[in-house]
Amino acid sequence: MRSRLSVLVMLLMVVALVMSACAPAAAPGAAPAAEGDSAAPAADSGQKIELRIAWWGSQNRHDRTIAVIEQFEQLHPNIDVVYEFSGWDDHWTKMTTQAAGGNLPDIMQQDYARLEEWVSRGLLLPLDEYVADGTLNFANVSDTALAGGRLDGKLYGVNLGTNSMTVVIDADKLAEAGMEAPKPDWTFAEFEQFVTALHDKLGIYGFAGTLENEQLWKNIYLSLGEWVYNEDGSALGYEDDQPLIDYLSMVKRLQDAGVTPSAEERIAMRGKGVEDDKIVTGAAAATYVWSNQIVALANAAGEGRNFILVPMPRPAGGASANYLKPSMFFSITSQARQPKEAAMFIDFFTNNVEANTVLMAERGVPVSSEVRTALEPMLNTPQKQMFDYIASIESSVSPIPRPDVAGHANVINNVYWPLVMDPLFLGQQSVEDAVKVLREQANAVLSETASQ
Amino acid sequence: MREAISARTQPQAVRKRKRSLRHDNLMGYLFISPWLIAFFAFTLLPIAASFLLAFTNYDVLNPNWKWVGLANFERMFMQDPRYLKSLQATFFYAFIAIPLRLVFALAVAMLLNTNRRGVSGYRAAYYAPSIVGGSVAVAVMWRQIFGADGLVNAVLGTDIAWLGNPNTAIWTLIILAVWQFGSPMLIFLAGLKQIPREFYEAAAIDGANSWQQFWRITLPLLTPIIFFNLVMQLISGFMVFTQAFIITGGAPLDTTLFYALYLYQRAFVSLQMGYASAMAWVLLALIAIMTALVFRSSSYWVFYGSQED
Repeated sequence: MRSRLSVLVMLLMVVALVMSACAPAAAPGAAPAAEGDSAAPAADSGQKIELRIAWWGSQNRHDRTIAVIEQFEQLHPNIDVVYEFSGWDDHWTKMTTQAAGGNLPDIMQQDYARLEEWVSRGLLLPLDEYVADGTLNFANVSDTALAGGRLDGKLYGVNLGTNSMTVVIDADKLAEAGMEAPKPDWTFAEFEQFVTALHDKLGIYGFAGTLENEQLWKNIYLSLGEWVYNEDGSALGYEDDQPLIDYLSMVKRLQDAGVTPSAEERIAMRGKGVEDDKIVTGAAAATYVWSNQIVALANAAGEGRNFILVPMPRPAGGASANYLKPSMFFSITSQARQPKEAAMFIDFFTNNVEANTVLMAERGVPVSSEVRTALEPMLNTPQKQMFDYIASIESSVSPIPRPDVAGHANVINNVYWPLVMDPLFLGQQSVEDAVKVLREQANAVLSETASQ
Repeated sequence: MREAISARTQPQAVRKRKRSLRHDNLMGYLFISPWLIAFFAFTLLPIAASFLLAFTNYDVLNPNWKWVGLANFERMFMQDPRYLKSLQATFFYAFIAIPLRLVFALAVAMLLNTNRRGVSGYRAAYYAPSIVGGSVAVAVMWRQIFGADGLVNAVLGTDIAWLGNPNTAIWTLIILAVWQFGSPMLIFLAGLKQIPREFYEAAAIDGANSWQQFWRITLPLLTPIIFFNLVMQLISGFMVFTQAFIITGGAPLDTTLFYALYLYQRAFVSLQMGYASAMAWVLLALIAIMTALVFRSSSYWVFYGSQED
């Protein structure tokens, strides 16, 4: 017995040793208390403040963001910015794990699709206090640009760039086919004629983009003045399946006629970036992207290519199928240790012209009018097209829909693709059946998530 | 008195020895304590936690999670069509890829079981794929090879979306699995070397051709090795993840949605940790049952030389 006891004591001692070795990592936790008491003078105390930032993106975005972080550190020598970046999936895995562990960074990149969920779980800090005291200066930012980051009247995320979906048409192919660019308010019927004619005249794919993507499902009901989810996220938000049936039947016709790539090809392309879109190699005459992606797409296509940006087509009789989406946000988390400095950084990111000449609208059209004017002369062709496109649709777009509900990711991953769209386009179920499955299964998932 | 003294001193000596023994034990535990601590903190504790989580609806972010009893298990088999598809995909993969890989490994092992010059070089070369085969890099390469403008289409002159077609996608993963035949091959090779030459010489004198020698000598004497390989491959086969995660992502139509991949998606994409934990425990049970079945069957087909005595 005694020997067992002493082993236990020994083990405990070792555990204690290991724990104390870990302690320095936890030490900064003590800092905010001191800092919170005397927020302003702390800056001069000589002690470095650690600010943590996390975002997702491509290598291009990482390089630009890190360069801006270095600018910020030079401006504020007392702040040491620690950053972590990753791809979309890993970012969310990492953030949720950190949220559970109570060590979220001060600033995290947020998405419109997740904002509501994170706010509802009390993980984000309202920023209005910092707007009021001038740390966040939105003098040059229009209210519509900020609206997407607001929930229940409080600001939880600062828009890092404005985005909207756009149909991209290869201008040279269009000329080769002897056709005119479509009107901005074109309907699905006109869209079908247009891409079919491109295919018939040129012998290449008329349209390469994945038309059964959930974004287009949302666009249909947005255009009709409804939304795919109901207010509390407990069920689908629309009653009439017919517009979706009509739309999917069209997509099926286009696929069967060879106007778009086959379902197998589309599945094999999944998870690849715009650089791999068939329009890049000239194997397709048109596609769709988010407006900030036109830059990457044009870069991949190379010199001497010309593209036209047109708004998304809409169902007959509908309003615009476009809305202005905040491409992504910076949010301050409720676990932030340096919320004040975090707000300073976001302000720098939003308003500083020099920082934005580095960022070069990679996250979408900047929200600050001053920044936009300053960048104007430096833009290359696709960047200018992106700015012009957003400016041209600004007055006619539909209002931004509510952020995605808590069950959204579950619906898309476990219902929308595997049970509805893939079986439909691989010829295993009819359009009517697919739409019925979507309604039944999505409602089941949504009501379960909402009741939790 | 003397006796009494000696009676008292003796236990003292024993006690002394005991103490030094205890001291040795202590030192031993101390030395393995890094491993012990890591084992308790990073293996045993998570295992226990996952067992408890399997009966909850814990989803990381939501603080209002609660005990749900057997609901997760019920849901798996009653209300989750994707779960059944993942079972189907995993069993299909295991029952085809594992036998194919073993047959292939045995065939190559027999080819390499000669004493020609440079044969060890070949052995190393044929083992290489199984070192790199499970890696992300090879999976990415595989994706390219079977891509729309990949090697396979170029060689065959076809234009097939191998990874997007529900009939072909899983076969690209099976081929990758078969290509990683290295480790069972090495074990087979060791087994082949154990078979005494005299058996073959005696058989040859009796007029047995090489086909008969294979069926009557090689295979029976190799059954313990086959048995070992089968068990090891079965266990790893049911846990296959990386290849499907990178190459197909479970698509098309969930034909490559392997159990571990679906578990990962539920846990880290949908964040349904409770449900995923329940899935993990069912997977453990499945593997245990499959392994037990193989062990049970072994008395019918595995030949140990000692049984003859």
